[in-house]
Amino acid sequence: MSFRFVLIVLMSALAVNAQAAEGSPTITVGTQEVGLTAGYMLPHRLTADHTTKQQGPALMPSWMMTLTNPLGDSRLRGQVSIGAEMVYIQFREPILTHGVGFTPKIKYTFVALDRIRPYAEFAGGPFWTDLGGRIPEESTQFNFVLTAGVGVSWFITPQTSFNVGYRFHHISNAGTRYPNLGLNASLPFGGFSFYF
Amino acid sequence: MMLHLFRWTLLGMVGIATTTLGCTRWIDVIPSSTGQQESAAQSIPSDERVPLVMDTFRMQQNGAPQNPSSEVERRILNTVQETRLFSTLIPLGGSPSSPGEKVVVARITFDETIDPHSGTSAWKGFVIGASLFLLSPVIELDYDYAAQASLELERWDGQVKRYAARSAGTVHYNLFGATPIMIDELKGQVTEACLNELMTQLVLDTNLYMASSAPLPDTTLRTVTVKARKPEAAPSALPIIPVSTAPVP
Repeated sequence: MSFRFVLIVLMSALAVNAQAAEGSPTITVGTQEVGLTAGYMLPHRLTADHTTKQQGPALMPSWMMTLTNPLGDSRLRGQVSIGAEMVYIQFREPILTHGVGFTPKIKYTFVALDRIRPYAEFAGGPFWTDLGGRIPEESTQFNFVLTAGVGVSWFITPQTSFNVGYRFHHISNAGTRYPNLGLNASLPFGGFSFYF
Repeated sequence: MMLHLFRWTLLGMVGIATTTLGCTRWIDVIPSSTGQQESAAQSIPSDERVPLVMDTFRMQQNGAPQNPSSEVERRILNTVQETRLFSTLIPLGGSPSSPGEKVVVARITFDETIDPHSGTSAWKGFVIGASLFLLSPVIELDYDYAAQASLELERWDGQVKRYAARSAGTVHYNLFGATPIMIDELKGQVTEACLNELMTQLVLDTNLYMASSAPLPDTTLRTVTVKARKPEAAPSALPIIPVSTAPVP
């Protein structure tokens, strides 16, 4: 079902791309980006003390503001943008629980390839989950989430991009209470962004 | 209960302050573009006006040559038109309707200097993000733009006069006030101020461009006879210059 959905989205994107007016995306200082990203969290048990296999879908609406014109002249030429993201994770394992977070985010987008733009991003902020206290790794419901990832934006029109990427997620409470082993996970994701 | 209410009220006020105070932006332009527009217009008899022909138009951005923008060209021509000094304005590639009439030829250079303060903005953005946007009302971001226009006018009799004007501006904005429109507004105001200053200089020389100010140069046809050169002497016929090969003592 989900595979069919992704296929339909991809075919639609290709059709839109074929019909889209040719032209490079013109992202300048002050250009805003609103995006919706979805992914699936997969656990990483980094030590023998990590036993929880937390996993589940994640939904991440975001807003970004472009702060710079393209910097540099080489293949690393890119733009910096900052913004914020809401993170919702539904932990389906080990117990059906939920997590909500707010993370300021910084992104560097490489612009040398014109309509295909790789990027690196980093985000971090407060995160609440009722999974905390029910697993051996985390004792509190109030935590922090840190994410670092890479992705690629494919501009199907000058104002719309299709994004895919990977993030590494870390959730812990910054040592405010113990145990605090932290939860680590991979989060492959896909989504759309609109620029205005 | 009261403490809870107070906490949420405080949080709401901080949120409102962040999003409202963080939306401000303003533009500083030197010199100001206001108040100069009216003084640039001139009233001279229509039979005293001559056409202005655009000969060359060069654009540079941060010192690098750019393709001439037809939008900027049109804007410059419109500003010249507003002075009412010339009968018609002929854009690049055009030529006067009747050859041999009195025309003024224009050569324009337009240099833009853009400084978006990218490095500083990136660091400030990082700090704003790290503060969960609470510092967005107090951290100010800047974007500089300067325009320098030079206009060279050549009268029908060959007399050349040059004019130059410069204007610069900065848009100061907070994070939530940023929009691509503010950059367009800044460029528009700076360009306007620069062209107004240029036209103010131009209208001071109104008499120079009136048709009666100078006669057409003498255009009598002259005949030039070109004859074939005599063949040069063969190398063997050249005089021989003695060369000493004795070593220098």
